[in-house]
Amino acid sequence: MEKVLGTHSFLNGGSRWLLAAGASLLFTLVFSGRALSQDIAVSGTVTSTVGAPISGVTVRVQGTDTRAVTNASGKYFLRAPADAVLTFSYVGQRQVQTTIAGRNTVDATMAQIPYLEEVVVTAYTEQRRGDITGAVSSVNVAAAERQTGASVLKALDATVPGITVTGSGSPGSRSTVRIRGISSFQNNDPLYIIDGTPVQDSYINFLNPNDITSIQVLKDASAASIYGSRASNGVILIETNRKGVAGPPRTTLRVRTGVASPVRGYDDFLIENSADYFQVVKQSYLNAGQAVPTAVYGDLNNPTVPNYIFAASGAATSVDPYGRPITVDATKYSFPNSLIMPGSTGTNWWKAVFSPAGVGDYNADVAGGSDDNAYRVSFNYFNQTGTAIYNDYRRGSVRVNTQFNRSKLTFGENMALSVDRSYGGIPNDPGGYAEDNIIGKSVLMQPVIPVFDINGNFAGGKCCGLGNQFNPVHVAFAAKDNLTKNNRAFGNGFVGLEITPSLTFKTNAGFTVYQNSFNGFNTAFPENAEATFTYGINESDFQSTDWNVSNTLRYIKTLNRNSFDFLVGQEAGANNNRSISASMSNLLSTDLNSRYIQDALGDASTKNVFSSGGKSALLSVFGKADYNFADKYVASATVRRDGSSRLAPGHQWGTFPAYGLGWRLTNEPFLSNNRILTDVMLRYGWGVTGNQLIPPGRIVSVFGGDRGDTFYDISGTNAIVPGYRQSLQGNPDLKWEENKSSNVGADMVLLNGMFNVVVDVYKRATNNLLFAPQAPATAGVAAPPIVNIGKMRNTGIDFSIGHQAAAWNVTFNGSHYKNEIVSINGVQNFFYGPISTRYGNQVINEVGHPIGAFYGYIADGYFKDAADVAAHATQDGAAPGRLKFRDVNGDGKITLDDRTIIGSPHPKFTGGLDLGAHRGNFDVSATVFGTFGNKIFNVQDEFYVFRNFETNVRKDLLANSWTPQNLNAKYPRLDKNDLYSHALSSFYVEDGSYIRLRNVQVGYNVRSAMSRWLPDDSRVYVQAENMFTHTNYSGLDPALPAANVFGAAGDIRDQYMGVDRGSYPTNKVFSFGFTTSF
Amino acid sequence: MKIVSKHPLLVGTALLTLATGALYGCKDFLSNAAAPQGTLDAGTLANRSGVEGTLIGAYRTLDCTSATGAWGCAASDWVFGSVAADDSYKGSNATDQPPVNDIEGYHWGTPDADSYLEQKWQISYEGVVRANSALRLLKQVVTSSPGEFSVADANGVAGEALFLRAHYHFEAWKMFGNIPYYREDETDFRKANETSALVVADILKDLDSAIKLLPTTPRNGQKGRASQWTAKAYKGRVQVYSGDYAGALVTLKDVKNNGPYALETSYDHVWTGFAALANGPETIWAFQASANDGEPNGNNANFGERLNFPYSGSHFGCCGFNQPSQNLVNFYQVDVNGLPLALSSAATWNASDANFVGGPANVTPVDPRLDWTAGRDGVPYKDWGLYSSAGGWVRDLGNGGPYSPKKNAEEQASGAESKVGWQNTQLNSVNIHLFRYADLLLLLAEAEVETNDLAGATAIVNSIRARAGVTAQGCGKGSDAATQAALVAAYPACATDSRMAVPINDPSIKWAVYKVGQYPTFTDQAYAREAVRTERRLELAMEGQRFFDLRRWGLAYAAAAINGYINGEGGGMEKSSARRLYKAGAETFIARHMFYPIPSLEVSLSTIGGTKRLAQNPGW
Repeated sequence: MEKVLGTHSFLNGGSRWLLAAGASLLFTLVFSGRALSQDIAVSGTVTSTVGAPISGVTVRVQGTDTRAVTNASGKYFLRAPADAVLTFSYVGQRQVQTTIAGRNTVDATMAQIPYLEEVVVTAYTEQRRGDITGAVSSVNVAAAERQTGASVLKALDATVPGITVTGSGSPGSRSTVRIRGISSFQNNDPLYIIDGTPVQDSYINFLNPNDITSIQVLKDASAASIYGSRASNGVILIETNRKGVAGPPRTTLRVRTGVASPVRGYDDFLIENSADYFQVVKQSYLNAGQAVPTAVYGDLNNPTVPNYIFAASGAATSVDPYGRPITVDATKYSFPNSLIMPGSTGTNWWKAVFSPAGVGDYNADVAGGSDDNAYRVSFNYFNQTGTAIYNDYRRGSVRVNTQFNRSKLTFGENMALSVDRSYGGIPNDPGGYAEDNIIGKSVLMQPVIPVFDINGNFAGGKCCGLGNQFNPVHVAFAAKDNLTKNNRAFGNGFVGLEITPSLTFKTNAGFTVYQNSFNGFNTAFPENAEATFTYGINESDFQSTDWNVSNTLRYIKTLNRNSFDFLVGQEAGANNNRSISASMSNLLSTDLNSRYIQDALGDASTKNVFSSGGKSALLSVFGKADYNFADKYVASATVRRDGSSRLAPGHQWGTFPAYGLGWRLTNEPFLSNNRILTDVMLRYGWGVTGNQLIPPGRIVSVFGGDRGDTFYDISGTNAIVPGYRQSLQGNPDLKWEENKSSNVGADMVLLNGMFNVVVDVYKRATNNLLFAPQAPATAGVAAPPIVNIGKMRNTGIDFSIGHQAAAWNVTFNGSHYKNEIVSINGVQNFFYGPISTRYGNQVINEVGHPIGAFYGYIADGYFKDAADVAAHATQDGAAPGRLKFRDVNGDGKITLDDRTIIGSPHPKFTGGLDLGAHRGNFDVSATVFGTFGNKIFNVQDEFYVFRNFETNVRKDLLANSWTPQNLNAKYPRLDKNDLYSHALSSFYVEDGSYIRLRNVQVGYNVRSAMSRWLPDDSRVYVQAENMFTHTNYSGLDPALPAANVFGAAGDIRDQYMGVDRGSYPTNKVFSFGFTTSF
Repeated sequence: MKIVSKHPLLVGTALLTLATGALYGCKDFLSNAAAPQGTLDAGTLANRSGVEGTLIGAYRTLDCTSATGAWGCAASDWVFGSVAADDSYKGSNATDQPPVNDIEGYHWGTPDADSYLEQKWQISYEGVVRANSALRLLKQVVTSSPGEFSVADANGVAGEALFLRAHYHFEAWKMFGNIPYYREDETDFRKANETSALVVADILKDLDSAIKLLPTTPRNGQKGRASQWTAKAYKGRVQVYSGDYAGALVTLKDVKNNGPYALETSYDHVWTGFAALANGPETIWAFQASANDGEPNGNNANFGERLNFPYSGSHFGCCGFNQPSQNLVNFYQVDVNGLPLALSSAATWNASDANFVGGPANVTPVDPRLDWTAGRDGVPYKDWGLYSSAGGWVRDLGNGGPYSPKKNAEEQASGAESKVGWQNTQLNSVNIHLFRYADLLLLLAEAEVETNDLAGATAIVNSIRARAGVTAQGCGKGSDAATQAALVAAYPACATDSRMAVPINDPSIKWAVYKVGQYPTFTDQAYAREAVRTERRLELAMEGQRFFDLRRWGLAYAAAAINGYINGEGGGMEKSSARRLYKAGAETFIARHMFYPIPSLEVSLSTIGGTKRLAQNPGW
């Protein structure tokens, strides 16, 4: 027997420990670092060349540990010897040095480092922008910080041109990142390099966004091909702060707490009132010429909400003429077999599941060091309660970064521990029907069904045409103790040696040890129309180890106006993983403490155990040469050779060359001192990258068996004996998938830095595409071999335009790409998407069209009348008011051959606008994101329009359905017998464009005059996310997450984009934040 | 260079690391990580147990498996054989499993219908692929390790695999007619289809080879295996299906006179979950369903049938599909002689649209097979209590009518019910008959009619009717105290009588008058033909055969039967508002319905160089 109990305690044991440990270490560091001094007081203001105050500038007294940081007004205060030298430093600005010379006021003006002089982290090295010939975008980390979420990836799409990110509002949900379209049928995740170590996993939640100091995106092959293998989807380089801050320990606290609520709810557009709902049901029966059921609402001309929608046999003590109980004998109630449920005048199922929920992000770090060493230690606790009931995500992480300089030797490490715990929600939008989770079909329950029965147990549709939806509150409640744990230790150690001033050697060893576990509970649903009575559990444990070692030797030489930069390196890495999962049914007790898989705790014969594993290895050598002549002409060449264990012997090694050319136009005499073009560099790059990320072991054919598939009771004694079949076909010729890309770009600084413009135009052609397209059934159900024959092409443009003024700045970025499948396997020209919904498969991958195109009939309005039916091509079930499908092939009948491409989920344009302004101690920033021209296939129409499974429907369905008087209605005629209009067609396809105000933040920098308790360098802010969305999409939220779909060839989510099957909507988040350093 | 001179060891170590790293480039590093994990390779199976296991896998596809579709692949063919005919409606509610609506309405060219046709195509060819794998592997092992198999065992394996290959092609042929035929050495899986007649020849060729190779009793005494007699019986079936009555007569008589089969003593022993009755004398070949066999999801416990149970007011819970039609229920009425009313009152037997409720007031005599075939109001449902359509045993009365399927339901006392799986109450180990002796006898009777041996046909039909008259549904008992109380309230005698099967004139029977008469003699060939066909429907109703029977009796016969069923037959029509009004939307049965359309996906996937090598069936 289940009753609704209280929610969880605020913290579970593990996270509490983490927080306590973090706090105590913090205090130790804070109170040990104070020093006294007898020096003079110095203060001043730091401003930019255009006169704007600069906050966050570190002002150091040379040769001492004394240091201060400017506040929002650019002011600082410190004490120092009267003859000391002050250094002013700030990221992106040229360093300034001034002697105090006895002054009490020392102001400074800092000049911005020109765009092309910025040093950015690229593959294995750091480079000046002016030396880069590839397409490399830097992420505005500050803008990324304005997003509340467990993963930093969520923030990338509005801020970097050419990147799209999808994710849901479920706390801790996975974000899917795509760079410059889709280049493969499977596994299109970019390669993540965290502090020089490649990371296989794209579930980046383990990384605390507050630890990140820089993110660079290598978008084209000439930039990325030094990563050869795995680089074909682009590379994202993430650096955590390892440099520390020279000086005594400096502590920074960053706290943000807020409240989230869904951007939209089903209660905004589905019927909430039982009586209104009945009118829809009634009309659909009347129009079908069928008797209207009376079991729920009684007299169809005078319908009433019943006292009870269900009473166990013998419980009704009086009934009305329609057999509806008027009074019941509550003593006849017993769980689970004899339930009694009241009728509801209108249950708001959305509100029963979704409500505003809290989010908190707490960070503390301590950084410091000297010329010899630098350290940073950080702690994070992130807790987001889902807007859905019984949904919670928490993460704790600790990071320790150190670096030591001993003469010519540099060494250090970056190490992090991350632990996350989540309950409920939909962290990974599932494949399959996706109906039975807490959204899907579940929140489409009829309003007459109450949430609870008369005894406080969950109610459901256990009666007469109320449908077999699951009570979503029950679904969530049952999963409230379903715990997903992720434990991860990851990091790297590095050693650098300056052999000569020109020659440096560096070695980096990285590792990830990862454990994921899940404990699930499958409950009984005795209140359902299709009641179930058994309880079960399942649990799984996954362990994975990755290691990676790289060694590089770099030689830099400048001869007159020629400078050379050579890099050679070698890299090796491997992954081992193993998992075990188990389940058992018919639990004797559902108590949380009894949910273990042991013989005595359930039906031992239902115990099931399964384990699996995987191994892979990569081995590489690479080299890079850069040449710069007079800062005018830049050339670079790269070559990498990779060996992959996933590919066939003889084809394991692939070679990935690239080259790039750059011309710093403004350094030519004819353009020097040009008034408009301050600094311009033109770039061209070409290169080849590879992809081998298919499931390992696909070279040979393998065989297997399964008790539910190949085992058989051959002797007829109810005992199965082993059977085998080929489970997949190997391909002994598996080769590298190759992506050839070329990029033409320009970096422009205009009007003396007033505008920054970056434009890139690219073409990417993937060849030898690795995929296993569906084979004819005559070849059997064994997974078809992965072959290397398909081709795909992407062309596109990315740009960003920035303007910087004294009091405000704005950056607009945009991108467009066009994806096209050029060939599939040389024999067939299409294959369907990976998921069928109730009415079939709505996605096709077809030559000449983009990946994941929508497929179905073209709906040409409705049949007007019998004459219209007669005039039209023969169509199954054609009748007035039903959808009319187009006879595409003109053969006079509507057949399967008339299905065609009816839309593309790919946007024509995506853009982001980043705004910032400040005045006095206030600053304001905002980000706007827009996507245009992408279509959504709204599968939920199967339910809230076509009412499959007697679900709830849209509020306007009755008023806007076809009638002879309303020929151009929004919806077809309500007709219980119309089982034809629901065929997958363009009726379901909607414009998915939207513009969303991602965030607005207003900050205030606290001045010491105003607060005695707060340090000078303190800031408070309020922030609002996703407050405003403009869209024509009729469903819940046009920002759909990618479905978590895996096939025989690996991750194939890109074959299923833009299909709305009921996803957890994005959140509006109001938050308050506070940052301080001391 | 100070550090180099001062710390040569350090620098040396670093450079050594680099060098060692480079040496990693040896082959082993990559090849050690190349092997697939958690799988078997071809070599592991290249022995006797590998061959036998591969053959077992080929048997398993007789019903849906965890790797194939859902219900279009059911062993019983309930969708294509029963719902598409006059035996049953899709049932349940209007919108669940919409593909079955389209099959029922003869709208076979819709995307919905296509998805179910694809499942049937897929399971059939998966069976072919597995049978061919067994044949290939056998050849390989016999060649490479001559000692592994005795000649008898090698022949047995080969015979069974050929038999299975013939069966799976037959399944595809009876659906789609013009299909490609695949043997063990073929590699082009985009082959063009053969004509229907050529396919029959190929099937018979494989069956003849199997007959030569197979032993006369199932190998190892394992009842699920095909023996020589199974193959002979099957050959007779194929001959009848292809209209070769003369050939069939020889084959089937051989089986009847010399084979090991006999009718069960009583009709309730045919479809049963009782282990002691499984694979009795009447079973020629059955899908060996197993429940509680260690498989955690109940996938071997008749996955393909799990929708076909009474709804949540009953013990079973879901899903109310495959509901017997009003036409079928009416068909079980008998005249004063106990002979089918459909024969003696051809114009009126089907006139009643009313729910055929059992009870003391209902004195219409019926064939007792009715209450083993259809659940109906007022009659106990095996040993699960009194059937009650209004009491929630039917999902949507307005949509599917008041009856429920019964043959595939397990008996409570049999313990055949699964303990695991989604809706475990609808999973059981009741074997699904793929071919039973009564079916064979009726095929023989048909052949005798067509070859004018009317006496032989009369004898067969009467033997089947005699067996039908042995037992009828008894009181049984309720599934729990409440249902037992309801049963006793309706029939007080049931308080002390829990027999599920009783003699047809047993005094405990208060819900029906049962009668099964014997035919004196068949007066002429036309009457005999109709009597045999009538008997075939009565005996094999709801077993997935009816549609294929109608079709093999010719376009005219099938069209008359099906269009009559919908539009007016025996005085009643299904599309009337008193019955299933939605049938008014059904397409008229015409020539193109003689074959199901080949799944559009398969036609498309057969394309090579722009040419679809699988030709679609005429009219689709």
